[in-house]
Amino acid sequence: MANTLRPYLTCIRNTLNATLCLQNFPCQEVERHNKPEVEFKTSPELLLQPVLICRNEGEKCLIEGSINSLRISIKVKQADELENILAKKFLRFVAQRAESFQVLRRKPVEGYDISFLITNTHTEEMQKHKLVDFIVRFMEDIDKEISELKLSVNTRGRLVATEYLRQFL
Amino acid sequence: MADDADGGDGEQLAPEADETNEAPALIMAKIEQRGKDVDALLRKQQVADALKTALADPPTNTRDENCKDANYAVMLKAIMSVKEVDPVLSQLSSKEADILMKYLYKGLASGEKAICDQCLRLHEKLTEKVGVGSIIRALGDSKHTV
Repeated sequence: MANTLRPYLTCIRNTLNATLCLQNFPCQEVERHNKPEVEFKTSPELLLQPVLICRNEGEKCLIEGSINSLRISIKVKQADELENILAKKFLRFVAQRAESFQVLRRKPVEGYDISFLITNTHTEEMQKHKLVDFIVRFMEDIDKEISELKLSVNTRGRLVATEYLRQFL
Repeated sequence: MADDADGGDGEQLAPEADETNEAPALIMAKIEQRGKDVDALLRKQQVADALKTALADPPTNTRDENCKDANYAVMLKAIMSVKEVDPVLSQLSSKEADILMKYLYKGLASGEKAICDQCLRLHEKLTEKVGVGSIIRALGDSKHTV
């Protein structure tokens, strides 16, 4: 398990390291506007080729770079329906608190579970390698978190069922 | 996206003809020939040479998707047969490494587990060898896609 996860995360880390070279860049269309180019896609020359990094069919990660912002969208592993629901609920919970995460996007890109949007302000205020660490760490932990949640749901379900059925003994 | 401080030979950044006048059929014929060469080399277990052959002259200047797919298929055969990564990668020039990086990203986007595993493995080693400059050259080049 861990040995197939490691190259995937290393690849993402390397790609992020390469693409996270952002600079302040005002909008070319509207005066005195400064917006993340990766979101508005106003001029194609400011964008990098988007890369999709897959680990398998279910787990993938899309990295879209541009001159002043970078968007990374993640689809987490969902083996069965329970994991699907847990992932959805858990990531919704996180996304609702996007303000406190700073780099988190409020709404994931279509087809993905969670997205981050890093702009040049973030790379100026924070250290780049810590940002990359954070994203990679997040991806590492999310799998763990969801399998833990799944376990606890199962244990709880079993306990409730035993308690309930005891009255018929 | 010029990243000249990082070991690049800058050849890809040189102004080139945007599109070749070569007919897709001609390019296809070349790719087919290359596919046969790669097969022959792979049968002789010369993986490094096969990879170098596959990397030679990629159809980056054409817009014909069929050519790109055909060349990708040839490339994939060579990539998938790499067992010992380090000795193979050490024989690549920096230009070849850049092209290989593009194909690795294409492979990573495919979503098939076997291909992804192999590409992830190669990607890690290749980045170790040539650095992040190659990644940014692969991503910044929107004209010469593979």
